[in-house]
Amino acid sequence: MKVINLFTSSILVTLLMLTLPIMMASTTLYTNKLYPQYVKTTTSYAFMISLIPMMMFLYSGQDTMISNWHWITIQTMKLSLSFKLDYFSMIFVPVALFVTWSIMEFSMWYMHSDPYINRFFKYLLLFLITMMILVTANNMFQLFIGWEGVGIMSFLLIGWWYGRTDANTAALQAILYNRIGDVGFILAMAWFLTNLNTWDLQQIFMTNHKNLSIPLTGLLLAATGKSAQFGLHPWLPSAMEGPTPVSALLHSSTMVVAGVFLLIRFHPLMEHNKTMQTITLCLGAITTLFTAICALTQNDIKKIIAFSTSSQLGLMIVTIGINQPYLAFLHICTHAFFKAMLFMCSGSIIHSLNDEQDVRKMGGLFKALPFTTTSLIVGSLALTGMPFLTGFYSKDLIIETANTSYTNAWALLMTLVATSMTAAYSTRILFFALLGQPRFNPIITINESNPLLINSIKRLLFGSIFAGFLISYNITPTTTPQVTMPHYLKTMALTVTVLGFILALELNLTTQSLKFKYPSNLFKFSNMLGYFPTTIHRLMPKANLLMSQKSASTLLDMIWLEKILPKSVSHFQVKSSIIITSQKGLIKLYFLSFMLTLALSLLMLNFHE
Amino acid sequence: MSMVYINIFLAFTLSFMGLLIYRSHLMSSLLCLEGMMLSLFIMMTVTILVNHFTLASMAPIVLLVFAACEAALGLSLLVMVSNTYGTDYVQNLNLLQC
Repeated sequence: MKVINLFTSSILVTLLMLTLPIMMASTTLYTNKLYPQYVKTTTSYAFMISLIPMMMFLYSGQDTMISNWHWITIQTMKLSLSFKLDYFSMIFVPVALFVTWSIMEFSMWYMHSDPYINRFFKYLLLFLITMMILVTANNMFQLFIGWEGVGIMSFLLIGWWYGRTDANTAALQAILYNRIGDVGFILAMAWFLTNLNTWDLQQIFMTNHKNLSIPLTGLLLAATGKSAQFGLHPWLPSAMEGPTPVSALLHSSTMVVAGVFLLIRFHPLMEHNKTMQTITLCLGAITTLFTAICALTQNDIKKIIAFSTSSQLGLMIVTIGINQPYLAFLHICTHAFFKAMLFMCSGSIIHSLNDEQDVRKMGGLFKALPFTTTSLIVGSLALTGMPFLTGFYSKDLIIETANTSYTNAWALLMTLVATSMTAAYSTRILFFALLGQPRFNPIITINESNPLLINSIKRLLFGSIFAGFLISYNITPTTTPQVTMPHYLKTMALTVTVLGFILALELNLTTQSLKFKYPSNLFKFSNMLGYFPTTIHRLMPKANLLMSQKSASTLLDMIWLEKILPKSVSHFQVKSSIIITSQKGLIKLYFLSFMLTLALSLLMLNFHE
Repeated sequence: MSMVYINIFLAFTLSFMGLLIYRSHLMSSLLCLEGMMLSLFIMMTVTILVNHFTLASMAPIVLLVFAACEAALGLSLLVMVSNTYGTDYVQNLNLLQC
């Protein structure tokens, strides 16, 4: 078909266009005050151009693969620069570019007074480029380049205000936890190299291996590290030390879904392995419930939204666990819209209250910030799965499919409880930030009338309302959704959500004027994040260091090399000479007696006969 | 016994007497110790060279090394005495303290 010729060139133009501002960084454009505007318009043009290949793909349904530059051949394995333009990458690229465009416009307002704003935009753009590399990669090597790239940019952006100790610690934490996940990725790469002799996705999917548990375990570990599943999750709430645009872009829409995206890419391998699916399902269920519990008692608005992200990521992993990768991908795309918008609204509130992030010191913003209030409410409703908003098209489908599939009942129960908790903490945010009497300082710095802020949130608002509908009705049908089920299963998601709303609202209203005396044990468990960071961050390093100090330093150095022979010998000599000496030091007499004895013995021996 | 050996043996005996009979300085006994070592070295070397006892050529070198070590020890003792009393007179060493 003649139209296909435009496909590959437009996607390459999109990717190449994004690298232009980076290459301009060595010219005078970088020191200009208009550099952020330039980056933002570049991203918006890239978005519009990337719509062309997406619509061509939706029309024709053909996967494409671009393989242009042969890099190296290591004995029998050929590595080249190849892009895989299939269902997942073609739909994700426009969504990611749209969200990034809005976030860049938002950060032009948010980071306005920062002297290094040009560098900030360069870092955001570098992050976007590496994310695009990750998403369009056709071999595992290129994917790994993108994987590590987003990790590095996450480190640089979380530690943006590097004068703050907490920010540096959080950035290091992110790197360390991601590294543990990378071990799993390298395990999978090594297995594929030794058993299938390739890193190309096409050849991997042709495999007929009986037991693929080892590489799938490696990939699951990589997803656990990157997407903050239970066990490797503490870095995500700590990553809120970075500026709000960073939280909106990296830690809600794009970077943390890289782990889920990896598992979705490898779904042909997971289809036939029931063990791995069960492990994935249980891991996702634990994550979503645990982080929802932790989110209920946090006081920092960004941390609540971070835990909400973590809970939704657990939901995506649960979806992969019930063998529905396309639904998980749909949830990735819809989740990006409203989560980024929630972060941007919280950024608007924070800046309006003069950098106040504690939710107990906000209040009464319903009338003071009308536009932010609107988008916050719409975003929260979309998050909880209000019918026919964006979140509904993916979240409700996931819950319905989980309910009607032959799956682990405990995991299903956890997921449902976490869904109702989603409604609970969303109500908490709305109640504390928007309703009631103001609890902030009387000096009025509230101002949301900047067009940069309003336009960016408005775009994502339209996305949060309509994107679910638009995407769901235009994508190619993949797995057949279950349409017939008992009415109590059909309304299960809605029921638990409404239950969560009502319960949270009642609790908030009745306990509003009560005095808060002693926190209960459950509260302490939830507020301290299940004591997980407290124990793991202190216990394990201390155990390691103590063991190495005991064995290497104390045992080998001090005891074997010093105490056993040299020091004990000298100590013994000193002690014994103290005990047995009774001399007076008449050295000359002693020598003389020695000589006399010698001379006498010589004489006697000579004259013995 | 040839004349050479008697000569060297005499040198050794004289140094030995000098080590055992000395008046006041500790340094003189140390010097006589060195003289003993020197005469032993000469005797060993001459014997080996005359008898073409090549395999034992290592022995004088080893003797020198050990002589150096013991000289260092003796000197360090001298320094310790000198630090305490200012001189190395032997009559100072009448207090044995450990």
